[in-house]
Amino acid sequence: MSNKKERERRREEREQAEAAAGAGDRRKQLLQLAAGAVFLAVAVVLVLIVVNTSSSDGGDTELEGVAEVNQQLAGIPQREMVLGDPKAPVELVEFGDLQCPVCKGFSEEVLPPIIENQVKNGEVKLEFRNFTIIGEQSPPAGAAALAAGAQGRGWNYVELFYKNQGAENSGYADDAFLESIAKGAGVKNLAKWNKDRTKFLAEVEETTAEAPELGFNGTPSFAVKGPKSDGLEAIGTPSSTGALEEAIEEAS
Amino acid sequence: MSYPSEWTLRRLIAFLAALGVGVATYIAFEAAGGDAPQCIAGSTGCATVAKSSYSHVAGVNIAVFGIVGYVLLLASAFFATDLARFGGFVVALGGFGYSVFLTYIEIFKIEAICQWCVGSAVLMTILFALNATRLIGYAGAADSTRSQPGLRGAAG
Repeated sequence: MSNKKERERRREEREQAEAAAGAGDRRKQLLQLAAGAVFLAVAVVLVLIVVNTSSSDGGDTELEGVAEVNQQLAGIPQREMVLGDPKAPVELVEFGDLQCPVCKGFSEEVLPPIIENQVKNGEVKLEFRNFTIIGEQSPPAGAAALAAGAQGRGWNYVELFYKNQGAENSGYADDAFLESIAKGAGVKNLAKWNKDRTKFLAEVEETTAEAPELGFNGTPSFAVKGPKSDGLEAIGTPSSTGALEEAIEEAS
Repeated sequence: MSYPSEWTLRRLIAFLAALGVGVATYIAFEAAGGDAPQCIAGSTGCATVAKSSYSHVAGVNIAVFGIVGYVLLLASAFFATDLARFGGFVVALGGFGYSVFLTYIEIFKIEAICQWCVGSAVLMTILFALNATRLIGYAGAADSTRSQPGLRGAAG
């Protein structure tokens, strides 16, 4: 009996020792695995950061909305900064600043129905004119759009710029950014675009001077010219697509 | 070296993970409704960050991954097994690593700060520290899921 007890006690001790050793092994294994996971995580984060840093030098790889803009403007004629049938009876002119967040809002919310309907069916042609009031990067950005317009991609440039617009005057609209938009907008001859954009600064100045003459003091401001209007008539900043459509209706 | 009791760590992890579920769910819901999370003090950082290309991975809003991560962390706090300790650590490590990456992107690429994302990053950082402490302190310890104070009677 005492032998049996002794055997049981030994077995228990052995089992406890084995369990402790097993737990120790398991702990060691888990900590080794955890250390491996930490190394892996550090490596992955570093790779992600490096890949994302280098992609900014590549230009157009991180642009947003390229396909969307191409789809929106597909099949609509463009000449310089005029979108739509050159023979359209009504001309709607937007005085905008590519750095202006309200203009971006208009480009995404107010203008799409006009482009989809009135511009596509040949009633209206839409012109973009620079009214650069935000900051020192606005005129070069505007000129870059006009240079894209010289290659029939002006509206792609404007729309794509808005889609990728940064914070006002944060310095994002540098030469690399302007060039990445040009590539994304499908400007074919980049060397020509680069040369043209200096030339177009004068036109940006002209249209910027023209806007206050129409009574505008903010962007975006719209003007309309049609059979029933008295030359180019100021609309101002309409509150909605409906207000713009009304102005178009009155002019046509 | 003495560690806080595992029960304390688990309670803290559960509390912070639940907060994280709330934050990530808020961001995901606002994004699904087409809006951006509202930044405090009228900052536009949240809209900028939410509209950037970094807000989605494979077409899925990253806040959804955040919800999944926080739910897993919350679940791991309910068990005192090695699987829960190690699983919680790995999820928190992944969340923390991704938060580091996103914060870098916010500062240097998007150049806008979204307070909700920073909030989530802070939660993930603390959760990572707690889960690391838990794993280092208690890996290999016996399953004590039922030996927490409130359930001690039932377990004993």
